[in-house]
Amino acid sequence: MAAAPTVLDNQIDPASLNVPALIRIQDVLVEYGQPGKPPKRILNGVSLDIQAGEFISIVGQTGCGKSTLLRLVLAEEMPTRGQVLIEGAPRRQPDRHCGYVPQKYSLFPDRTVLENITFGLEVTEIGFFGGLSPRRRLRRKQFRSEAISFLLRMGLRESDASKYPHQLSGGMQQRVAIAQALIMRPRILLMDEAFSALDPGTRAGMQRLIKDLWRETGTTVLFVTHNPREAVILATRVIALGRTGADEDGANIVLNLPVPTSGNDDTIAGLIQRVEQTTFPGGGAESDEQAGAPEA
Amino acid sequence: MSVFQIHAHPSRTTVWILSWFLFATGVICYFWVSSNRHRDNPDDRVMPTLRQMSQAFVDSTLKPAEDDEVAANASEQSFARRVRNSMLWKDTVATGRRFLISMALLFPAVLLGLHMGMFPHVGAFFLRFVLFFDKIVALSLLPILFIAFGIDELAKVMLIVVGVAPTIILDAFNLTRGVPKEQIVKGFTLGAGDFSITYRVVLKQIWPRVLNSIRLNLKSVMLFLFAGEMIASTDGLAYRIALLRRHMGMDTIIPYVLWVALLLFLVDFGMRTLNRTLHPWFQEA
Repeated sequence: MAAAPTVLDNQIDPASLNVPALIRIQDVLVEYGQPGKPPKRILNGVSLDIQAGEFISIVGQTGCGKSTLLRLVLAEEMPTRGQVLIEGAPRRQPDRHCGYVPQKYSLFPDRTVLENITFGLEVTEIGFFGGLSPRRRLRRKQFRSEAISFLLRMGLRESDASKYPHQLSGGMQQRVAIAQALIMRPRILLMDEAFSALDPGTRAGMQRLIKDLWRETGTTVLFVTHNPREAVILATRVIALGRTGADEDGANIVLNLPVPTSGNDDTIAGLIQRVEQTTFPGGGAESDEQAGAPEA
Repeated sequence: MSVFQIHAHPSRTTVWILSWFLFATGVICYFWVSSNRHRDNPDDRVMPTLRQMSQAFVDSTLKPAEDDEVAANASEQSFARRVRNSMLWKDTVATGRRFLISMALLFPAVLLGLHMGMFPHVGAFFLRFVLFFDKIVALSLLPILFIAFGIDELAKVMLIVVGVAPTIILDAFNLTRGVPKEQIVKGFTLGAGDFSITYRVVLKQIWPRVLNSIRLNLKSVMLFLFAGEMIASTDGLAYRIALLRRHMGMDTIIPYVLWVALLLFLVDFGMRTLNRTLHPWFQEA
């Protein structure tokens, strides 16, 4: 008897839509120069189009340039050659079009959970001294109620709002960081190994949460991970980076794998195996236990 | 049970006894030697007795200085007025005023360090100069400062600023550079601009550490202040100590030294309490 198909829940298949790319990475080369030494090449000739609404997992070995690619999209770093276009235009520095959830230091330690979530709204709408005017005070109240609803949506309690980040667990901190990013309604959400430091149980919960949020908001997600299983389960497309030649040549895309919207367990296992074999040919991929075991 | 055990857990009583032991020993030794000296020579001025020091301290808190002609005929005044006209009060106020002005002038040093750390062009402009200035021994500049700014208040305040500001600037600079890059990127992605990030993200995060840095530099501030007062001043705690040294007035000098230590302790305690109250998130405070 054939196995029942497992729904992967990737309802949107934006790659199939004939629309201009939201993110266009064109023939990007990244080199880091050191005085007296030959430049170290990280990425070489990377080209990639990402459509709005896609969930892209970027997977690869340590040091293969996953985070560098993310920083290029974020415009925190500029390529040595080539260009990165967001909505058809290059960006000069990070801005509110991209939400960002790093692995560490994702929250401002001097602000409470509520203040962390409302920070973006306050700096963009209220400004430095604007908090003094009565109209702005009213707006601030609205921000707070919006932040509380985000907080509850993230599975946190209202009583957590007054806590400082150091009083929260790692998983709770990342939930707040996601709320902090999503409340700004960014077109793109960049997550740099955001779940790597979490225990398997928490990680599985976070994977479910981010998938649900992606489905609800339609935000384009770029998710950097070490784990092939996590990459396949979450994404609509898996991008694997690796080095095909000598180390000095830098990394390029070695696999651009669309994940089908539905498939049985064998299909998923096959995809995971393919990603593993391409990315970690000598073994060394993060185990499922380490990565949590999200429901497919 | 060995004293030198890393895993030892001394009881509260033991900790209390150990921590006060050296104080008690010092005080006992002093008065033992002092009483011996006074037995040999009742007019000994090097190690005054407790009674002599108490009398001198009471005099300094209730009587004006001998050289204070304005307050000299104040013996008929009220207690509060006598305290306000007293030598100790006037010296404390004079030193305190200089201390507060110097501390206020250190605030721009914090801002300079912050901007140097945040904006690469500002950093490139100032860093080498501040690093060079930091290596200059401030006391060696004292004659130059007195020539350039005269021997009044400005020279003394400048001495403190020259002596302590480079350290505070470099501390603020390093603390700013130590803020994780992720925090700054996060700020940008949440819509903050360069100055919003500088003041609302970075300054807020480094502020408790900056306060700690200033607190740890309090002794340097007082050192430069005392140097200035001892060399060229007509009032102030250090001026009085230097003046009394000429007359071997140890009965007043020792209470003055203890008074300065107490004041410094109170300022330190106040800053620590303030830091804890203003920054409950700051674990190291």
